[in-house]
Amino acid sequence: MLMSLAGIVFGVAFFVVTQAQTAGFQSHFIKTILGVNGMLRIEDRIQSTRRTLPAAPDSTFAVNIEGGVRYIPGVEYPSAIQEAVAQVPGVTASSPVIRGNAVLLANFREYDSKPYGIDLASFVAVSDLETQVVDGSLKAFADNPYGVIVGLRIARRLGLAVGDSILLQNSGAPTRFRIAAFFETGIDQVDRERVYVHLAASRSLLNRPVGASFIQIALADPARAPELADRIQQLTGHGTMAWQEREKTWLQVFSVLRISSALTISTIILISGLGMFNTLVMIVVDKTREIAILRSMGYTRSDIGVIFMLQGGIILVIGILLGWVLAAAGTYSLSRIPIRIRGIFASDHFIVTWDVAHYLWAALIAAFVVLIASYLPARRAARLEPGDVIRGSST
Amino acid sequence: MPVLVAHQLERSLGTGDSRVKALRGVSLSIEPGRTYAIAGHSGSGKSTLLYLLGLLDLPDAGTLSIQGSATHDLDDAARTALRNEHMGFVFQFHFLLKEFTALENVMLPMRKLGRLNVDSMRDKAAGLLAAVGLADKAARLGNQLSGGEQQRVAIARALANDPALILADEPTGNLDQANADRVFSLLQEIAHTRGQALLMVSHNPELAKRCDQVFHMKDGLLLP
Repeated sequence: MLMSLAGIVFGVAFFVVTQAQTAGFQSHFIKTILGVNGMLRIEDRIQSTRRTLPAAPDSTFAVNIEGGVRYIPGVEYPSAIQEAVAQVPGVTASSPVIRGNAVLLANFREYDSKPYGIDLASFVAVSDLETQVVDGSLKAFADNPYGVIVGLRIARRLGLAVGDSILLQNSGAPTRFRIAAFFETGIDQVDRERVYVHLAASRSLLNRPVGASFIQIALADPARAPELADRIQQLTGHGTMAWQEREKTWLQVFSVLRISSALTISTIILISGLGMFNTLVMIVVDKTREIAILRSMGYTRSDIGVIFMLQGGIILVIGILLGWVLAAAGTYSLSRIPIRIRGIFASDHFIVTWDVAHYLWAALIAAFVVLIASYLPARRAARLEPGDVIRGSST
Repeated sequence: MPVLVAHQLERSLGTGDSRVKALRGVSLSIEPGRTYAIAGHSGSGKSTLLYLLGLLDLPDAGTLSIQGSATHDLDDAARTALRNEHMGFVFQFHFLLKEFTALENVMLPMRKLGRLNVDSMRDKAAGLLAAVGLADKAARLGNQLSGGEQQRVAIARALANDPALILADEPTGNLDQANADRVFSLLQEIAHTRGQALLMVSHNPELAKRCDQVFHMKDGLLLP
């Protein structure tokens, strides 16, 4: 029975720890991705290609033909869209962004980059750029109309330092910028190709005198993004994508990992349940005479069943409580383990999430297994006929 | 009023070809305050009859009344409640719960009946242990007592709910002569002084003779 108890304790603890870890990484990924690419993006304008055809030559009747949807790149009137979107409840900020490609020239080397023209004041409200700066300052960027914030991977690859000047060239003559800061998001692809320039500077650099490539939106509740995306798309006529849809692939990966680890760990609990089942069956066999004498003195079948269910219940309660304590200690210890992670987010230690739901799920799975494991022996004990047992014990 | 009335009880044991008729129509009546013995050779049906009378088994045919209540239509829970309230059992083996003390073992039937609070149960159990000469051993675990002492605890336990009928299956079969005499005398005294009926199955003809009435069994029938 002690081994079964140990199995329940470790099963509950491992379940919680693995869920805390996978959920921790998932929530950190979401936080990172929201801090970089925002919760919603209003992008290309949608133009319906529905058209009508006359039912017959010279007919006044016409038939509607669904021709699909055509996207016109970018946002032509970002200010008007921003004003409209600001009226939508749940939207807290919006910022226009111009996106393009340019060759970065520095230290006698050429490097393909993606300049993002931003309005700093509004962009920090829809991103985590303030916290992503690892060297230099946003103030230096704000003070210089030709300031640039460069991804840390680019800086390392080209050997750049804050204060250096670089050239960015799109199709015309190169434009000189001065490095105000470096940023690191932890997302490899962003850190090795993105540079932030002022919106006005990007218009001449990327030949985009009006409009924006997209508008990045911040919401009070990120979970409502899909619902608000539909609403904003209908309101503005621009394709609007929620972060859940945009990051669907990674979210599915995390989801599969969580389910997979939950299933794997649940087998520990299941095996403990089998051990407990065996033990309780052995106890029923061993205590047959005691069960019979209790029945003869007036204890009912359900009284006997309850005794065995109680045994399982006691193991369950102790197992869950000890498992929870071990889980909390394990989760805390895990969060202190140093590990350098870069690629889809940046972290220098294991990330965990403290969520009471993990503890409740672990308890629920353990309870299900233990109740099944206890119920069958309890039923067997309750079905014993006292006369048969006592007759078999007599000489 | 008789404590127990059995009429034409029949019971077969085993299955298929090995099925044998253990009881072939047994009728008897048990009066309060008297002691009865069922005597007979092995396989005569003594124990089978005792278990039927104790509601631990069901007859194939015949009727049985306990304290005036017919039992043949009762479900398992109702028969169990009747056992708890009106019957006490003493078996060849004491069947004490070894994890419990002598006092706690005696309290078990009272706990199920639920008519007394814990203190009253404890007092009553102590009194019963004193009556069987074990007042000083109430706190001992079941397996810390000798065979005779354990059987006396089992007798005290059988008396816990003041049953109208004490059913004893070879209560002295596992004891030496001295202890056997002592246990039987105790049972007899209790039956006579408390007005409880004692029905005992015994191989021992000397002990059987000391009862008020002896039923002789052979091949599943009571001999006249």
